[in-house]
Amino acid sequence: MTRILLSDKLDNCVERWRSAGMTVIGPVQGESISRYAVVENGAGFDFGMILPDRSVKELFFPQTEPMLRYTIKKSEIDTADFPPPQEKRIIFGARACDASGLAIDDSLFGWDYKDDFWFHRRNESVIVTIACTKADDFCMCTSLDLAPDSTKGCDVLLRPLENNRGWQVEEITDRGREAFAVIADLLQESSDQAAPTAVVTEKFNLDACVTWLQNPENFDSKFWKEISMRCIGCASCTYLCPTCHCFDIQDEGDTYSGIRRKNWDSCSFALFTMHTSGHNPRSTQSARWRQRIMHKFNYFPGKFSVNSCSGCGRCSRQCPVDMGITETLQEISKLQS
Amino acid sequence: MITQEKYRTTVKELLASDSVKMVIGYKPGSTPDRRRPLFIRSSDDADQLVLDSTCITNLSGYLVAEGLLSDEKRVGIFLRPEGIRSINILAAEYQLNMDQIVIFGFDSTGREVRPLEGRHSKDFSALLSDIKENSPQISKEPLLESIERMNEQERFDFWQEEFSRCIKCYACRQACPMCYCRRCIVDSNQPQWVNTSSHTLGNFEWNVVRAFHLSGRCVQCGNCDRACPVNIPLRLINQRMAEMVLEGFDHFAGLSPTQEPVLASFKKDDTETFIL
Repeated sequence: MTRILLSDKLDNCVERWRSAGMTVIGPVQGESISRYAVVENGAGFDFGMILPDRSVKELFFPQTEPMLRYTIKKSEIDTADFPPPQEKRIIFGARACDASGLAIDDSLFGWDYKDDFWFHRRNESVIVTIACTKADDFCMCTSLDLAPDSTKGCDVLLRPLENNRGWQVEEITDRGREAFAVIADLLQESSDQAAPTAVVTEKFNLDACVTWLQNPENFDSKFWKEISMRCIGCASCTYLCPTCHCFDIQDEGDTYSGIRRKNWDSCSFALFTMHTSGHNPRSTQSARWRQRIMHKFNYFPGKFSVNSCSGCGRCSRQCPVDMGITETLQEISKLQS
Repeated sequence: MITQEKYRTTVKELLASDSVKMVIGYKPGSTPDRRRPLFIRSSDDADQLVLDSTCITNLSGYLVAEGLLSDEKRVGIFLRPEGIRSINILAAEYQLNMDQIVIFGFDSTGREVRPLEGRHSKDFSALLSDIKENSPQISKEPLLESIERMNEQERFDFWQEEFSRCIKCYACRQACPMCYCRRCIVDSNQPQWVNTSSHTLGNFEWNVVRAFHLSGRCVQCGNCDRACPVNIPLRLINQRMAEMVLEGFDHFAGLSPTQEPVLASFKKDDTETFIL
């Protein structure tokens, strides 16, 4: 016997959580794209998609975020911080790759400077992952030592029932237990079986790739030029990525007052590493693509002992020229064998 | 299939005889309905080439990327009529030397692919003129018609809603053969002419700046629209601008490599006192 939540109780759940002061967020299919968005009742969720087009990252690290307001006067500069949002949220129906992405980025945002904007949102948000029962050609979590039912970064794991009536409930963290205490009487004991998780075939040999990437001789390999020849240098892959976290600080306003903002930035752009002198240490697109791969699978794990990729596959799924991490690591795997 | 086989043979011959240093075409992608850009440097690789109705991407932007043509050697490229128009504009704007370009023209109706006769830009001038003559008769897509029926406020609201999804990944710019500037205006930061933030104002600024820069230059290949990861119907903006340029100036972009850029050329006897 396990505890289950029936899908026809969703309306009640949403109501309970909202009454408890939480904003309820879930996968929503919009007219043009799907994303994690606020839902007002059970009908607002769309659990049918493989995963939303946009990752959960944007709920924690928005594409543009005001940090402080400044006014420059004759003898002083006044500044006023924008406080991090205090909103309590429950994200119901996150995918395991998205939740893992958040856990991966915790290490970055909490490294030398603890990013208040990120951690306030992290601490005030409950992540309820629903294990995947289907996957597409681009899913690759299993190649990253993750799985369709990974609990990394999630507070509660739900497994869809085979009979499609609801989910098995597995509380992972205290935060998750607290959120589910609010709906405890809506859960029930049941012997209903969970549906098998999606079969995600292993796309590449990660260890072999990492060994190749760590070999300094390969930094200047002609492989990089070959593999990235068709890269057009947009930021679609980095901006949809649940773990890419680079940002730029910009002051917007006139001479005397304005707002300092934190905006997404991307290593795909030539401007990303452009020096004031005009010199660019990553002057070609292949150097920029190499950086993205090296950062995710060599530098980041070197520093934080975890790969900066959770295998969602959005980079490849969405690429205008059909590139992506999968193809690159598959080709590196071939070089190694 | 016949077109594909014929072209494979020609590509092999041209590469083997060193008539071209590279041919840019298509190869299979990661799923059956996807095609990837392919860069063929030796005749042995020509067998990877595919040509079918799913070969949609306008590849002409690669010709002006990272100094491909700087050695003055010739490059072959697979182009649909829109792509041929693109390289005509690039030549007219002094971005490439047409004598370096060997065109493998093709078009498709349904699933049928047919070759377009010719190898040099000038071989296609009659075809392009025909396309210009027929363009007013092509029926507009319903969404564009409904936008045109909107009043100013409704139209503004429509685009505000669409642009609210923009994440400024610049996939539209990067996918566009006309966006070849070494440094885009939005990347100029001394001073910062355009906000980098992708809030509503910043998104409007970006998309409207791009629409203006493409007026009279866009060939509606659809690269921007397909590249957009948040599905903003960018094609509609450029389609409308192209219509206005056709109506106002009888200008159909990319008819020939010597066609004057309509909004970037100056006539002494211009009756207008204002120049954009």
